[in-house]
Amino acid sequence: MQGITKRQLLIAGAALGGLTASSRSGAQDMSAHERELYEAAKREGEITWYSGQYSAETSEAIGRAFTERYPEVRCNVVRSTSQVAFQRLSQDARAGVAQCDVFSSTNSGHFQLLKRQSRLLQFRPQNADGMLESIRNADPDNFFHTSFLGLFQLACNSQKVSEDEAPKSWTDLLDPKWRNQLAVGHPGFSGAIGVWAVQMRKMYGWDYFKKLEKNKPQIGRSSQDPVTLLNAGERSVGVAVPAATVLLSISRGNPLRLIYPTEGVLATIAPSGIIRNAPHPNAAKLFMEFQTGPHMTPVLLRYFADPLRPGSPPPEGAKPLDQIKLLAPSIEEQEKGVPEVRELWRDTFGV
Amino acid sequence: MNDTAAALPKPVAGQAEGRRGGLLRRLRYVEPVTLLWLLLVLVLLFLVAAPLLKLFSVSFQAQETGTFTLSNYATAYGRARYLDALVNSLTLGLASAAIAVLLAVPMAWAVSRTDMPGKGFTWAVVLGAFIMPPYLGAVGWILLAGPNSGFVNRFWQWLTGSEGTLFNVYSFEGLALVIALHSFPLVFIFVKAALDLVSSEMEDAANILGAGTWTAMRKVTLPLVWPSILGSFIIVFLETIALFGTPAILGIPARINVVTTQLWQFFEYPVRVEVAAAYAMPLLLVTIGLIAVQKLLLARKAFVSQTGKGGERRMIRLGPWRWAMFGWCALVGALSVAMPLLVLLQASFAKAWGRGISLDNLTLRNYHLLIFEHEMAMTSIWNTIWFSAAAATAAVLIALLVAYIVNRRLMPFGEVLGFLAMAPFVIPGIVMAIGFYAAYASPPLALYGTAALIIFAFTARFLPIAYANSSAAIRAVHPEMEEAARILGSGRLQAVSRITAPLLRKALLGGWLIVFIVASRELSAAIFLVGPRTRTMAVLLYDLSEAGNFEVLAAFGGLLLLITLVLVGIGMKLVGRDFMLRRI
Repeated sequence: MQGITKRQLLIAGAALGGLTASSRSGAQDMSAHERELYEAAKREGEITWYSGQYSAETSEAIGRAFTERYPEVRCNVVRSTSQVAFQRLSQDARAGVAQCDVFSSTNSGHFQLLKRQSRLLQFRPQNADGMLESIRNADPDNFFHTSFLGLFQLACNSQKVSEDEAPKSWTDLLDPKWRNQLAVGHPGFSGAIGVWAVQMRKMYGWDYFKKLEKNKPQIGRSSQDPVTLLNAGERSVGVAVPAATVLLSISRGNPLRLIYPTEGVLATIAPSGIIRNAPHPNAAKLFMEFQTGPHMTPVLLRYFADPLRPGSPPPEGAKPLDQIKLLAPSIEEQEKGVPEVRELWRDTFGV
Repeated sequence: MNDTAAALPKPVAGQAEGRRGGLLRRLRYVEPVTLLWLLLVLVLLFLVAAPLLKLFSVSFQAQETGTFTLSNYATAYGRARYLDALVNSLTLGLASAAIAVLLAVPMAWAVSRTDMPGKGFTWAVVLGAFIMPPYLGAVGWILLAGPNSGFVNRFWQWLTGSEGTLFNVYSFEGLALVIALHSFPLVFIFVKAALDLVSSEMEDAANILGAGTWTAMRKVTLPLVWPSILGSFIIVFLETIALFGTPAILGIPARINVVTTQLWQFFEYPVRVEVAAAYAMPLLLVTIGLIAVQKLLLARKAFVSQTGKGGERRMIRLGPWRWAMFGWCALVGALSVAMPLLVLLQASFAKAWGRGISLDNLTLRNYHLLIFEHEMAMTSIWNTIWFSAAAATAAVLIALLVAYIVNRRLMPFGEVLGFLAMAPFVIPGIVMAIGFYAAYASPPLALYGTAALIIFAFTARFLPIAYANSSAAIRAVHPEMEEAARILGSGRLQAVSRITAPLLRKALLGGWLIVFIVASRELSAAIFLVGPRTRTMAVLLYDLSEAGNFEVLAAFGGLLLLITLVLVGIGMKLVGRDFMLRRI
């Protein structure tokens, strides 16, 4: 009984996603370069991916899709917040033990640092040429490549906050009427929240956060944390939450509404890189091809994340990118700024 | 010294050939037990002494160069925020310990000395609270007492029509209560054991002199067990300041930073093991100091209430008050076990837990995700089981051998072994993890990310439990049975394996299961040691908690509890109903 249901599910999934269908016939549609990499990767058998970019659920799905396309290479998904992923990587380095193959973080500054310390492997995935033009060349020296395009904005519980009342801008959040209503992640954990804090400081100075603290936001760890709080009705406005997580949650029947702040939306265009002493370098290259290539797109769309390649519509319920004002600090500002705002944050908010 | 028997059946030495043969021959005269002793010393040095010494030395080393410096201590104590964390830990420890004593002492008194009904039920409450991992209880209490969405607060708002909050779990009080709700079993066990020894004559004397039940309890019974209350207060205090999971989950929204979460911050980039080591030193010193105080307290002879004369023990008749006492036990049971468990169960089957119980909110997706789709969930369950089993086996084996050598006085300085085996008792789990990371993560051993590192850490961490267990069991077996076997020509090892071990089987199995269960939920000792493929359930649960996805978290917690319950069930079947609570 259960077996049948599961098979039915699989078939339905295959028909629906199209992804599984295409990967079943994977061996045929592989290019020579891809097949060559796959052959080499098979001998390594696995790839370990430290990631803080997509949500845990999406990351697991990406790992599964990779292994479906390349059945003899298992993907070890180690998903955490970006700062914790970087902490793991640093602990590995400090112990002199190589465990991570591909590292992905929402804080681009991490890659600038790793590149300067010569801890990344130079590699250009051929698929990178097919990405959106604006994100095609993350690093001129090809030590890292864009693998994530995430929008971080506002969201509210639509049962608690009407459309009129809802905050329209980042500065609206400072209104005392939002006291005990806001929820936000933590820059000591979430890479995106670190980048967001750098952007807000750039626009309004650190004073913005001192005023925000007067409204006593509930602080979690991941940038996605507030979405759960909104679903539960614990808080009514989520600050700098990932659009994909909100849209996925809406699709599951939760009373949420996405808000595009008037000043603009934080666009986190963040890369992945291969660690220089990666224990499975070929599998890592194959994974970089997968991340930049067309076969990750259906997974991203299924989980409402923004695709990295042209030709796909935006995720359901989201505005197209060209109609949104995007905010983003430069990669240098991120590298320098995130550790600073992390300390300031701990002084201002006490944790 | 009474070991000459083993040397009697001397094997006939082969043809001695030069110096090597001579050495071999001399080695033959070495008692096997001496070799064993040496081996155990080495094992204990490796597991206990070396990580601690490394931690100590590293706290005085400069990060890059390794030269002597005091700057780590300056960094660790140079900021108000870091000192605040220290103060927070100490106050939290005091508050949790006080609440735990308030919860548990009436329960222990009622079960031990009165005719309160439902004593079996009270035992079940204590056991339930003991086996529930504290971080899981914390998640349960987020669902119960989140200020706006928690079931308790919503019920309160519905009941009173107010907008206010009855209890906010994201607060100092919330943190202290949630911790106490999972540590009160320790107080209960210690205090009940002491109360069991007080004979009714003391209370009778008070009654004759005109004191009522209440006065007699307050002025006679409780003062008699005062050392056990204080001793268990200290234990809960120490457990609390060493706890990582609960403060990490509740502390950030509550804006409370404690020592353990601060230690975690020192592992952020750049990893500052040296500063973490320096920062951990007071935790270690406080623990050692308090354990010493506790030992002194319990060693005081003035409180002896058990004498050669058998005292009579009668249950105090409480009359209608027995229902009040039962109500108290039931309340503690509801707060610590029933309520968190129910909301966790509800959340694990819910699409969004805040929407409550309704058909359109029911789903199996959370379990499906973990069992069929999550790459690590099943692996982590398997990891947990085999790491814990390996650690439990190693700990019981080492503990048994050490306890045997110490109790039978086979070697001079045998007590050194006993001391080393008990030493981890005073080392907080997270401090031990930092020690293991500093000592064994890097080359030459390069154990970082291997299963071995976690198994070693678990073995060392829970060695004291296994040792206390084995030691008590061995003391209960009189040597004369072994001696009989020895007289009949058996060697010592044979006598132990054929006579003593079978007699101890039940006790050892109990010890094994206790170590297995506490290891299977251990978070703080594992947190810095896991690699991508060696994550345990507790660590994965912590990783999952980052994004606040409580539905999946609850489902995973459900799986963890299921495994624990199966094991407790096996233990009760094989060893007896009270195997977990007899000695801890």
